[in-house]
Amino acid sequence: MTPKLVYEGLATRAIAFAVDAAVINVVAFAVAGIVALVLSVLSVPNEVEVVLLGVAGLAFFLWTTGYFATFWSTTGQTPGDRLMRIRVCSADRGEPIGFGRSVLRLVYLTLAAIPLLLGFAPILFDDRRRGLHDMLAGTVVVSAPEEPVAVSPAGPSRVRTPPG
Amino acid sequence: MLGRALQLPIELTASVARGAGRRMGDLALAGLDAVLASRVAEEAVDRALASRLADHTVDRLIDQERLIDETVTRLIESAELWVLVDSIAKSPAVTEAISRQSVGFADQVAGGVRERTRRLDTRLEGAARRVARRPPRPSSESP
Repeated sequence: MTPKLVYEGLATRAIAFAVDAAVINVVAFAVAGIVALVLSVLSVPNEVEVVLLGVAGLAFFLWTTGYFATFWSTTGQTPGDRLMRIRVCSADRGEPIGFGRSVLRLVYLTLAAIPLLLGFAPILFDDRRRGLHDMLAGTVVVSAPEEPVAVSPAGPSRVRTPPG
Repeated sequence: MLGRALQLPIELTASVARGAGRRMGDLALAGLDAVLASRVAEEAVDRALASRLADHTVDRLIDQERLIDETVTRLIESAELWVLVDSIAKSPAVTEAISRQSVGFADQVAGGVRERTRRLDTRLEGAARRVARRPPRPSSESP
């Protein structure tokens, strides 16, 4: 029997995304701070500083993309999603999406945010609560209840259940 | 027949014994009252309190209190106690209990946030669908 999927709404997803943004920025600020402190004691030419800024921008882009793509393609849950007990899965089979599709979803998500976040409005009207990025990437965001805990003599451990 | 014949003397004996016991108890209590009310008891207590025995007993008690204080002070100052406290604090059982309590609290807070955001989702969606004059969304379905 195929389990019923509970699709998650705008507010829950927004909170999960905000938590992820906080994690991404805290790590990025920490790394940037360390690099800035190291560079402050070195006399670096202006041209090199410009190149370093470009590298930092590229590193931030890769970090953000890698963060979302890795979590969506492995467990289907970013830390923010885990906190809110939601997960991203394919709309047709309910399974975690691949890495390439995760990167595409992130691109679509950025596109959906550009027109004053209007790309997210369909979440309020669609029967499966899909935003523009979900429709384009063929994904849905569903509820992910806590996995049952198996108690063994060695201590509690999570029981791994197949996704979907 | 023999049982019935013996029953009466047994009951009589028991009744006499009960009466005698009560009477003896009353007599003992009356005697005690008389002794306590007498000047002899008062004098005995006064003499006992004035004796060296009372002073000695009080001194012993104070000495014992000092001994307990000294023991506690030495125990607190001893490195072994802190080694013991450290080992207890680092024991898996204690650390697991503390972390479980912390996780439990965080999970409780997150649970509250989840519940509220889901209620907010329902309200937002309901309002948006009313504005767009669309029917309510089916609650859940299979992929």
